[in-house]
Amino acid sequence: MASLAVKMRGITKVFNGVNANDHVDFDLRKGSIHGLLGENGAGKTTLMNVLYGLYQPEEGTIAINGRTAEISSPTKAIALGIGMVHQHFMLARPLTVVENVMLSRKSRRGIFLDTKETARELRELSDRYRMGIDPYSKIWQLSVGEQQRVEILSAIYLGAEILILDEPTAVLTPQETEIFFDTLREMRDDGKSIILITHKLEEILSIVDEVTVLRLGKLIGAKAVDETITKDDLTRMMVGREVLFHFPPLTRDPGDIRFRLDGISAMNDKGLVALKDFSLELREGEIVGLAGVDGNGQKELCEVMTGLRPSVAGKMTLDGEDVTNHEPAFYIQKRISHIPEDRHATGLALNWSLKNNLILKSFARPPINRNHLVQTKKVEENWLQAEKDYQILAIDGDEQVRCLSGGNQQKVILARELNCEPSVLIANQPTRGLDVGAAEYVRTRIINARNRGCACFVVSADLEEILQLSDRIAVIYGGRLMGILPRGSDPLEIGALMMGKGLEEKLEERELEQQNIH
Amino acid sequence: MSNRTSIKVALEIVGTVLMVVGALLIGAVLVVLSENNPIEAYQAMIAGAFGSKQKIAEVVVKLIPILIMSLGVSIAFKAQLWNIGAGGQFLMGSIVSVAIALYVPVPIWLRIPLSFAAAIVVGAGWAALAGWLKARFSANEVITTLMLNYIAHYLLLYLINGPMQDPYSDLSQTDVIPDGMRLTKLLGPTFRLHSGLFIMIAVVVLMIFFWRTTLGYRIDLTGQGEKVATYSGINVNRTVILTMGLSGGLIGLAGWIEIFGIQFRLLDGIAGGLGNTATIVALLGSLNVYGVIAAAIFFSALLCGGASMKRMTDVPYSVVDVIQGLIIIFVIAKNVVWDRCDPMKLFSKKKGYSQHAE
Repeated sequence: MASLAVKMRGITKVFNGVNANDHVDFDLRKGSIHGLLGENGAGKTTLMNVLYGLYQPEEGTIAINGRTAEISSPTKAIALGIGMVHQHFMLARPLTVVENVMLSRKSRRGIFLDTKETARELRELSDRYRMGIDPYSKIWQLSVGEQQRVEILSAIYLGAEILILDEPTAVLTPQETEIFFDTLREMRDDGKSIILITHKLEEILSIVDEVTVLRLGKLIGAKAVDETITKDDLTRMMVGREVLFHFPPLTRDPGDIRFRLDGISAMNDKGLVALKDFSLELREGEIVGLAGVDGNGQKELCEVMTGLRPSVAGKMTLDGEDVTNHEPAFYIQKRISHIPEDRHATGLALNWSLKNNLILKSFARPPINRNHLVQTKKVEENWLQAEKDYQILAIDGDEQVRCLSGGNQQKVILARELNCEPSVLIANQPTRGLDVGAAEYVRTRIINARNRGCACFVVSADLEEILQLSDRIAVIYGGRLMGILPRGSDPLEIGALMMGKGLEEKLEERELEQQNIH
Repeated sequence: MSNRTSIKVALEIVGTVLMVVGALLIGAVLVVLSENNPIEAYQAMIAGAFGSKQKIAEVVVKLIPILIMSLGVSIAFKAQLWNIGAGGQFLMGSIVSVAIALYVPVPIWLRIPLSFAAAIVVGAGWAALAGWLKARFSANEVITTLMLNYIAHYLLLYLINGPMQDPYSDLSQTDVIPDGMRLTKLLGPTFRLHSGLFIMIAVVVLMIFFWRTTLGYRIDLTGQGEKVATYSGINVNRTVILTMGLSGGLIGLAGWIEIFGIQFRLLDGIAGGLGNTATIVALLGSLNVYGVIAAAIFFSALLCGGASMKRMTDVPYSVVDVIQGLIIIFVIAKNVVWDRCDPMKLFSKKKGYSQHAE
């Protein structure tokens, strides 16, 4: 057995009397990619923050490369060759890549900056791992994927031999993920040790050499990943029970057309065309999934359908009535529910209490409101009902939504959006960032809504999710509808459409040019 | 109200009281530096605020405009609209009150409700103008309300030195409004306390209910962020203008009360530091109606007590200004410190309450 880069023994970390880590052991072999798997709240990030010196454990020892180490601060961790890339990037957005890297260490030229030298070295490193990062580009101009590469580049440049990556693929498209994994493999072959915090099983199976599973702060087990390990094995370790991956298809025929988009076009925030001549029909009691790589107009489409963004051409009808370009309140009144992509800024008022978030769209209407006064008692009843129906875990209804976990926050949104008996449900990335258990719950709820006759529209960059849920699968690329496929279609065919197969050569070239410009 | 919420409220109150005590302690150091006895100074201050019936009545006289204005300011603040133009809105309300009271050729009994309504409308319009500029051109309301303060102030100076100047006097002031229009003195002619007190009480009662109304919720939600407000079906631009209007309307009303109850005429310095004081009181009271009431009482007492401390001891009045300034700093500092160390955690034992354990 190769030597251990990291050896953690009996790590215990307590928050408010709760063991976030409870005597956890963790071993990282040198030159391997190690998956750290667990649901949200399982203590993965806590364990890694201990390793990175952000938290001091109450108990336990850490040895780096066989030597016992007191890691009292991130500075110490960096000196020991440990680098960490957080889920939320720690980059100064107005500065360039090289300036960001230089923030972390002293200049070699005394009081002068060594920008040129650093930039050259960064470029060499970037070329070596084919990251394609220009040291002089400003952070805010980079895509999320590129920013992540900058973080990794910077960690390696600062001498990291042990790299901790916290849910790195949460922000990446499937394509970016593939490229990213190639980079990781090359780094591993260069002798670096990598820890991948994740709750995505596919990732564990595709890239990881070994996996450690945590549940509720406790170590469940560590295993080498080979062909014998299946998704079900990992799930059972992670969740402690079987999880549904297959949902029942539609048992009856879908009803009438409820919502119809006819040649809708719309601009994005930069004023460029984001949706082009998009037509789609949603029928009563069916789920239409929209597959597509992130940023191909899905967000704009959902916004047009709920009045948050005007369409510049085309027509929308609801039950035959023209509903093009009204105010958001109009669509709410028509019982078109919307689970937005951006939970934090759009879907929730983070500083508001739980029970007020549940009435975000209904505080002006009876029964919550009587004689222009919000009825406190009704609000409380509404909360207690939602808490029970949606299994929202919180101390009480007065707790700020900010304090809840992602899964619970999404349950609050679900409770609100499904409680009004929606006629149409528009769910944009409804399970992004959720752990397996919570995602399963959300999907079951969407299926239930469909079974009650709601016309559901599920947008997801996760093809797996689309395949599981959809009765029909629409594919979007470059703001255009590429085709509509039935349930059970070949994922490869969908994937090809997601990449824009079938669009005329010319169009494709033009798209590429545009992408190159930006 | 749940247990946790009451703990939260208690912590909020403790924090605020600590800030005020801190400010007073630093004020005491300054008194010592000016070679005076701080205990005597503060005794003089307390006696000056509460020492006699007369003094208490004066505190209430001060309280009336301060409380109404702070409640007005807090409406805008709740929507994250930093209306720091209370001074200007107050002046516009005062100007139009006097103009109508003196010049409009209708019976006196009709001029009272007319000027009352006009003061509210003009104060509201003055603030809503800043709201409109924000909604239409994304102009920062801090800048616009501040600028509108200057416009209102110089308009006042022009009027009291020009068209509205008292023709029988060389002083820069208008004529006084007729006796029959003034607000009744509640405690006889030797006390200044007037029936504007009842208007203040009415405003307070309305504000207690306000945050439970549809409009109150709408304003609160708008303050939570444009995205989530729009998503919830709120027309943000319309709400911004309306919120500023409501805020300015209350402040304009305070101007009317001050004219009809105390000043009876326009002159320079009529607003005093009322605009700034209202801003501080709203923040010190955490935008909560009860908090604002407590903070307004404290500040009224501080201002009245400070004035008599200056008369009775050698301590300069600027100590009061310093205490005001310190309180602003503490309010800001408190929010930062409270966020960092989150005292709630000391009380939270229930499993699962941890944002870090993910």
